[in-house]
Amino acid sequence: MMSLFAQVPVSTPEIQWFYLAPILILALGGVLLITLTSVAPVMRGRHISALFTVATGVLALAFLPFIAARLDGLVDPVAGQGGRPAVDLVSSALVVDHFTLWVSGLISVAVILVAVMLDGYLEREGFESPEWYALLLISASGGVILASAEDLIVTFLGLEILSIAVYVLAALHLRRSESQEAGFKYFILGALSSAIFLYGIAMVYGATGSTTLTGVAGSMTGRNAAGLSPAVDSSLVMVGIALMLIGFGFKVSAFPLHIWTPDVYQGSPTPIVGFMTSAVKVAAFGGMMRVFLVGFGGTFASDWRVLVLFMAGFTILFGSFLAIVQTNIKRTMAFSSIAHAGFMLVGLYAAASPVAIGDTGKRAVLFYLLAYTFMSIGTFAVISIVGKKGDGNHSIEAYRGLAKREPLLAMAFTVLLFGQVGAPFTAGFFAKFRVIAAAAQVERTEAYILAGVAMLGAAVGAYLYLRVVVAMFLDVQESPSTEMADSADETLALVEVRALEVPPATLAVVLLAAVVTLVLGIFPDIGSGALAEAALALVR
Amino acid sequence: MAQYLPVLALLLLGSGFAAINLVVSKLVSPSRPTEEKLAPYECGIVPGREPPHRFPVRFYLIAMLFIIFDIEIVFLYPWAVANAGLGRFGLVAILIFSALVFESFIYLISKGALDWGTLQVNRRLSPMVNEDRTVESTVRKVGLVGRFEEVESLKDALIDGNAATDSVPEQDGAAA
Amino acid sequence: MFLNQFLFFAAILFSIGVYGVLTRKNGVLVLMSIELILNAVNINLVAFGALHQDISGQVFVLFVIAVAAAEVGVGLAIVLLIFRNRRSINVAEADLLKG
Repeated sequence: MMSLFAQVPVSTPEIQWFYLAPILILALGGVLLITLTSVAPVMRGRHISALFTVATGVLALAFLPFIAARLDGLVDPVAGQGGRPAVDLVSSALVVDHFTLWVSGLISVAVILVAVMLDGYLEREGFESPEWYALLLISASGGVILASAEDLIVTFLGLEILSIAVYVLAALHLRRSESQEAGFKYFILGALSSAIFLYGIAMVYGATGSTTLTGVAGSMTGRNAAGLSPAVDSSLVMVGIALMLIGFGFKVSAFPLHIWTPDVYQGSPTPIVGFMTSAVKVAAFGGMMRVFLVGFGGTFASDWRVLVLFMAGFTILFGSFLAIVQTNIKRTMAFSSIAHAGFMLVGLYAAASPVAIGDTGKRAVLFYLLAYTFMSIGTFAVISIVGKKGDGNHSIEAYRGLAKREPLLAMAFTVLLFGQVGAPFTAGFFAKFRVIAAAAQVERTEAYILAGVAMLGAAVGAYLYLRVVVAMFLDVQESPSTEMADSADETLALVEVRALEVPPATLAVVLLAAVVTLVLGIFPDIGSGALAEAALALVR
Repeated sequence: MAQYLPVLALLLLGSGFAAINLVVSKLVSPSRPTEEKLAPYECGIVPGREPPHRFPVRFYLIAMLFIIFDIEIVFLYPWAVANAGLGRFGLVAILIFSALVFESFIYLISKGALDWGTLQVNRRLSPMVNEDRTVESTVRKVGLVGRFEEVESLKDALIDGNAATDSVPEQDGAAA
Repeated sequence: MFLNQFLFFAAILFSIGVYGVLTRKNGVLVLMSIELILNAVNINLVAFGALHQDISGQVFVLFVIAVAAAEVGVGLAIVLLIFRNRRSINVAEADLLKG
C-alpha cells in the first residue's frame, strides 16, 4: 500500500499550447461567452453575442497561417508520418498537421458565417440568447477535435462534443414543436449511432490492443510501438470497422443511415441547418478520413472501400431521386445534402486506393468540402430569410416571384443553386468533376460504374435545383394567401402575410457565398497549395 | 465460475425465504374476506381510475443537474489516486477541470435553475417573455403551434372569406 | 473466466439495447436503452483492457460514463421540452415532420 502513496514521478505530457490554439480559442470562447452573459447582463444586449462569436472565429482563423508556417519550419517532422510535417500533442491524443488546419479553417469559416446569419434570425424570431452562439462555438471545437484526433478515445469525445451541442441547437426554437421534434429525433438516432460507433471502437481496441490510430495501423501491419506482432483477430477488426462506418455514415448522412436527415433539417432552425450541412459535415468527413485512411488505411482498406463504394452509389441515387418529389425546400435541400455526401464518399473511395490516386481522391474530397461549405451556408441563409417570422414559410411555392421582389437575393440564390447543380464556372462543377475524375482513375470496373452513377445522380439532381430557380423567376400567378396549406407551419406563414425582411448581414453572407462559389469556379486552383499539403498529411 | 457460488447461494436463500413466508402465511392465517374488507376505502367515493401521479416538473431539472455533476466527479478519483506522482501538473489540470465544471454553476444560477421560490430571475431571462410580444402576437404564435383543430378551423375561415386575411396585415401595421 | 463470456454478455446487452431503442414508444425508455448499449461497450472495453493488460480500456470507460451522463442530460431536457408542449412523451406521436 505504501508504494501507492510514495512519490513516484509520473511522466507528464508536455503541452504545446500554440498548436492547440484553434481548439482552445473555440472552446474557451464558448465558455467565456456563457460566463460573461451570466455575470454581466450588459453582455446580453443585441448583436453582442454574435460579434463575440464572429471575433472568436476570426481569431481561430487568424492563428492557422502561423501554425502552418511553424509546421513547415519544423526541422525534424515526427517519424511515422511519412516525413510530412505533423506535431503530436498531449501524448499522442491529437495531431496537428495541414489536414487539421484545413478542416479547422473550414469549421471556423462556417462558425463565422452561421453566427452572422443567426443574428438576423434570432432578432426576427425574438430570441435573445447567448446560448445559441456558445453552443455553436463548443460544437465547432468538438469538430476540430474530431478531425485532429490521433486516439480513438479523443475521436469519440470530439464526435460527442460536436453532436451533443447540435442536438440542443436543433431543439432550441422553443416556440416550434417541429423544432423540438427534430431535436428529439436527431438526439435519439444520433445517440444510437454514436453508441454503435463506440462498440466498433471497442472491437478495434480488442483486436489490436491499442486505441491510437498509429498503434492500430501498426499492429495490423505487424509492427506496433513495442515491436511486437500481436495476432490481430481480423474478424473482430472487420466488425469494428463496419460499426465505426455506421457511426460516421450517420453523421455524414450516407445511404442506409440518411433517414433522419429530411426530418431534422425540416424541423431545425434554418441557420442551424446551415451549420449542420457545413461544419458538422466537414468535421465528420475529417474524422472519417483520418480514422479510415490513417488507422485502417493499410491491410483493411480493400475491405472497407467496397462498403464505401456501395454507400456512395446508393447515397447519390437516393438523394437525387427522392429530392424530386419534395415540396418543402428544406426537405429538398436535405436530400440534396445527402446526394452531396454521396459525392464526397466517391472521393473517399478513390482516396482509399494506392498513393497517387489516393492523393487525388483526398484532394477532391477536401475541395468538395470547401465548395459545399460556402454553397450550403449561402443556400440556407436564403432559406432562412424566405422562411419569414416563425421559420415556417418553406414550400417551394414561397419562392415564386422572388426575382421580382428581391432581385439581388434571387440572383445570388441562383448562383448558389447552379453551384450545387455542378454547372460550369461554379465551384460545384470542379468539386463534382474532381471527385468523379478521381474515381475514374482507380481503373476498376466497379469504380467506372460508380463514376457513371455519380454522373447520373448529378444530372437528375439538376432538375430539383432548376425547379427552384424556375419558381423564382416565374411571376406570382395567384396570391399566396388563397393557397391551401398542407401543414400547420404553412398556415402560420399564411396568416402572417408580410413583406420579406432581409437583414443586411444575412444578405452579406449570401452574397459572399455566391461570390466564393463563382471565384472558385473560375479560378479553381486558389489555395491548391494548402489543399495538396492537407491531402498529403494523411499518409496511409 | 466457483467464485459466483456464494452469490447463487444467497439468491436461493433470499428467494426461498420470501417464498416460504408467503406460503406459510397463506396456510396458517385465517381467510374470511367480506366485501367491505376488500374495498379500498371503508367509506367515501370509490375511485374509478388510478390517481394521476403528479409532481412538479422542476424535480426533473434538479435530477438532471444532479446526474451531470455527480458523474463529472468520476474524473477526480483517478487524479486523487495518482496525485502523488503527478505533482503540480496534475493539480493544474484538475483545477482547470474543476473551473470548467463550476463555470456551469454560474450559468445555472444566473438562469435561476436553482431557485425554488418565485423564479424571478428565470422569468426575466426567459426568451418566452419579451417586450416585442403583444397580446395579439402571443395568442397567434403560441395558439397555433401544434394544435391542428384550431388550424383546421382557421383554414376554413380563410377559405370562406378572404376578408380575414386582408385584415391581418393592417393589424400588423397597427401593432408595429 | 473466459473473454468470450464477457463478450457474449456485452453482445446480449447491446442487442437488448438496440431492440429497446427500436421498439419502445416511451421517450425515457428509449434513453434507458441507449444507456444499455453504452454499458455493453463499457463491459467490452474493460474486458479487452484486462486481456491486453492495458489501462487505456479502463480510462476509456470513465470517459464513456461521463459522456453518457451528458447525453442523458440533454436527452431528458429535450423530452421535457416536448412534454411541456405536447403533454406526451410518446415517440410514435412525434409525427409533425414528414414529406
